[in-house]
Amino acid sequence: MFNFLNKIARSKKKIKPVESRNTLEEQSSWKEQTISWLIDENIDLMKKIYRIPDNRDVKVREIKLGGKGRKAAVFFISSITDVRTIEDSALRPLLLNKDPDAGIEEIIYTQNVTAVTQIQEVVENVNRGNAVIFLEGKPAAYAFECANFQGRSVESAETEVLIKGPKEAFTEKAIVNLSLLRKRIKNEALVAETVTIGKRSKNDVFILYIRNLADNQLVENIKGRLNNLNADAIQNLSLLEQYIEERKFSLFPSVLLSERPDRAASFIEDGHIVLIMDNSPDSLILPATFWSFFHTPEDHYLRFFFGNFIRVLRMIAMFITIFISAIYIAVTTYHAEMIPADLLLAIAGTREKVPFPVLIEILLMEIAFELIREAGLRVPNPMGPTIGIVGALILGQAAVEANIISPIVIIVVALSGLSSFTISDISLNFALRIIRFMFIFSAGLFGIYGMTTLFTLGMYYFVSLKSFGVPFLAPMSPHYVSSKDTIFRKLLTQESLRPGYLKPVDINKKGNGAVK
Amino acid sequence: MKQTKGKIGIREYVAIIGLTIGSKLSDDTPSILYSTARNSAWISLLLMTLLSIIPILLLLKVMSAHKGKNLHEVNLHLFGKVLGNLFSLVLLAIGFSFVVVDSERYVDIIGTMYFSRTPLIAIYVVLFIVCAYGAKRGIEHIGSTAWLAYFYIKVTLLVALGITFIQGIPELIFPLWGPGIGEIVKTAGSNLSIFADIFFLALIAPLVGTFKEYKRGTLIGFGIGAVEITVSLVLFVMLFDFTSIEVLKYPFHETIRYISIGFLTNVESIFLPFWLVAAFIRFSVYLYLVVVLFGGIFKIKDFEYLVPLMAVLIVALGNASTISVYRIPQLRELLLTWLSPIFFLSPCFMWLAAKLRGDFRNGTSTKNH
Repeated sequence: MFNFLNKIARSKKKIKPVESRNTLEEQSSWKEQTISWLIDENIDLMKKIYRIPDNRDVKVREIKLGGKGRKAAVFFISSITDVRTIEDSALRPLLLNKDPDAGIEEIIYTQNVTAVTQIQEVVENVNRGNAVIFLEGKPAAYAFECANFQGRSVESAETEVLIKGPKEAFTEKAIVNLSLLRKRIKNEALVAETVTIGKRSKNDVFILYIRNLADNQLVENIKGRLNNLNADAIQNLSLLEQYIEERKFSLFPSVLLSERPDRAASFIEDGHIVLIMDNSPDSLILPATFWSFFHTPEDHYLRFFFGNFIRVLRMIAMFITIFISAIYIAVTTYHAEMIPADLLLAIAGTREKVPFPVLIEILLMEIAFELIREAGLRVPNPMGPTIGIVGALILGQAAVEANIISPIVIIVVALSGLSSFTISDISLNFALRIIRFMFIFSAGLFGIYGMTTLFTLGMYYFVSLKSFGVPFLAPMSPHYVSSKDTIFRKLLTQESLRPGYLKPVDINKKGNGAVK
Repeated sequence: MKQTKGKIGIREYVAIIGLTIGSKLSDDTPSILYSTARNSAWISLLLMTLLSIIPILLLLKVMSAHKGKNLHEVNLHLFGKVLGNLFSLVLLAIGFSFVVVDSERYVDIIGTMYFSRTPLIAIYVVLFIVCAYGAKRGIEHIGSTAWLAYFYIKVTLLVALGITFIQGIPELIFPLWGPGIGEIVKTAGSNLSIFADIFFLALIAPLVGTFKEYKRGTLIGFGIGAVEITVSLVLFVMLFDFTSIEVLKYPFHETIRYISIGFLTNVESIFLPFWLVAAFIRFSVYLYLVVVLFGGIFKIKDFEYLVPLMAVLIVALGNASTISVYRIPQLRELLLTWLSPIFFLSPCFMWLAAKLRGDFRNGTSTKNH
């Protein structure tokens, strides 16, 4: 029996030939060649590189040109190209051509044709969805753009939801994202440079900034970092973020991820740098300060008082998220005297039958809340309501009735959980949720003294953070010239300065009072 | 617009002064003043403020001739290598003792007023873990934290003092001259060193953005600190009257225990965190200054590595003093008395030395003074 199984296993190994020869070195040795004078050699080499016909979507169309009957071959990958363009703009004119001496540039109709001389360049073009034409008697190949990668269309933002303001969000296609940004900044100075990262997968990163506005040193710094990456593949921005961020073990993020083109555009206009990439429905904004994580675009879309009102709400919510559970623990265990007597009696009454210390009680409930939250996120849609029932009924009501948790703890934890949702940035949100647990433990250990200790430690750490040379709490401290858009914002017409910590070339962005 | 690395701006500097001098109203400094000057402690503080202007202005004058140098380097320059180092060493000894004694007081406050069942050593260690971390991060970050916290600390102080004013009885500040002018002047003279922090802060003078900012910051910080302490000295008397205030060890903490806000009858735990943040920042600054001075005297370039060692030393000494036969309050009073003439006279000597050496004659000093 065992022998039999063994045989099957071995035979399977034999059936599947291991592509041992297809190493990176060998691939590159093929690709390093220049294009030969002989078209058949070129076609053979390309077929070898692309393993035609094993590779089903790589297409080669060999044709004889009219007149002298010169041979030509068109290479493309059908799954990532617009086949109609190839047929209409290249194949048809090639077949209908009667002039024997005409060059490729004169025959085909596409918006641009580039002549390349290296196999390497040919391969790159084909991989990017372009088509490449080889022509007999020419030591060059001609590439033209006809890429058509599949992806979804522009949809509305899902994580950064607004009531007032534009609704569209980035998609997974970098070109679409670029178009969304160019739609907002119609300026020739908006530069979209690309850097290719990922040795095998050749992922392109677009670096967007406004020339003669963004700090050159910063742009060079980021380009340098991207060029220095040594990885086979970096698929999207969420991964790239972790490659280029500065403090990898820090709780606080140092680059901002936003899925809103309007937000990215306003950051670019302030002199920030934005990275976009295929396969990422978002943009990476750097450098980022604490305030950029704390703000939402709606703060500015709403009128002055309304915008500041939601900022105050968010600030309060942030403090509630971090502190309320810890304060409850500290006050009930260490500083009971500060609660008014009636309330103290009420709390003591509800805790009468609960067998746990407050710290354990709070921890139980906080962890339960985090579980509901995580499960609610992962649960398949049709089962969503189940989570609600389980969460609200069993963990809430039943736990109280079973005297495991006191009702006040439910209020406290629900408040802290609810408040945490007001921070829309996912990185900051996670940071706050983890910090909340640290405060809970410090309050359990030393009451308000412990909390203040942790707070001061945190502040020392917080002010020492930097994102690409920009202090995390700038422009509040250290002080920089800016529009003072921190906890509150000024009137829109008075926000006339770009943030000074970016060292923008032109600091004024508006006239005084935004009038001429 | 461009911020040079490692430097602090005027805001941060004022906040540092505000938190080092200003928070003296919340330790046992008021009770030391009350013990001799009684209800007129605030007058003696005003007198101190007036007296302190002289050494502070002289100090600023001397520093203006030596921009880019800290106090220790100026000492070396003025008094030569041997005397300068000796002078700095005396300063270090006094500064260090002050940190030990002061921190012991703070631990005592936390231990007796708020956490009576927590062992003092635990409070002490936690306090200095934070301070060592802050001092290790450097003055730039201490400054930023100080500035960020400054507003909230002072607002809560203002609230506390405001309520004290409402609940206090203004007539209690009379008789205005209390124990008599002689006692008031004596108190002022022997406790002048309340403002000696400014003298020690000259150690970070080159780290403040520009000399102009340093000068203005010093004067503003000094002014705010003096007003704060004076006002609170008046208000404490208004709340407790002079006979009981003399027996109170920590008037500020008794005050926040005594007052009530609406339905909240015990509000001290609301003020406690703000006071604690101020305390943490204050001792971070002190620790940093001690280490800078130490590093300067013994020519240790990477002085920030001394921070943990110094912190351990302070905790050990401070904790030992709680169980020793010497009593810290007396020790602190003694130190204040010793430091007072040093604080008053050293800037005078420095100025004299600078004058004799002709440091003020080059053009740089006249421009800013």
